[in-house]
Amino acid sequence: MPKAEFPYVPFHIAASEAQPNGSIAYRPLAAATITASNGNSIRFIVMPDSGADACVFPLSLAILLKLDVLNLPKAYTGGVGSQNNPTYYDTVTIDMGEGIVFKARAGFAAAMDTIGFGLLGQDGFFSQHNVEFRHAEKLFTVETL
Amino acid sequence: MATAVINLEGLLKGIPSGAWVAISELQNKVLSYGADAQAVLTEAENKGEAHPLIVRVPDQASSLFL
Repeated sequence: MPKAEFPYVPFHIAASEAQPNGSIAYRPLAAATITASNGNSIRFIVMPDSGADACVFPLSLAILLKLDVLNLPKAYTGGVGSQNNPTYYDTVTIDMGEGIVFKARAGFAAAMDTIGFGLLGQDGFFSQHNVEFRHAEKLFTVETL
Repeated sequence: MATAVINLEGLLKGIPSGAWVAISELQNKVLSYGADAQAVLTEAENKGEAHPLIVRVPDQASSLFL
């Protein structure tokens, strides 16, 4: 089955009272092609997040994909720092390259707009892949089940 | 294709938080950015990039995500 390796992406974190010297956050990011049920697609940044119940993207991405947001099925979701977020669902195809292609029931929420990338959660992503995080090597691997 | 992602922090340097950004993965450079995602995408397409990588600079780009 397809297996792909992705590098962690470094981001410098500003100095703060808690971390006077700042730090570097290594994030497991990848570029992916997101194709909506209407056939429209966008290249976007995604990050595996084992703490997310499902895959979720910024609501703005749904608009770029020309989805009829107000006619999509809606549910309320929550996360760290935000609750009762209206979330609109579509079945999307996510292509991370190197043969890692899968369908997922993904949410689109305005609360995600401030984060700026998509989260690949348990339902849809981890349910269909073995994912190995090798932080010491700054690599993560994704293997289709 | 991975180069643009590896160098994401460098590519986004100097772009205001909250801005949408269109990146050419092949050229490893920013094509357009601004507050309106659709306008950013259209500008990149007008520059000949059919499928730019779209990303939004997080509101607190230099903060830890928890």
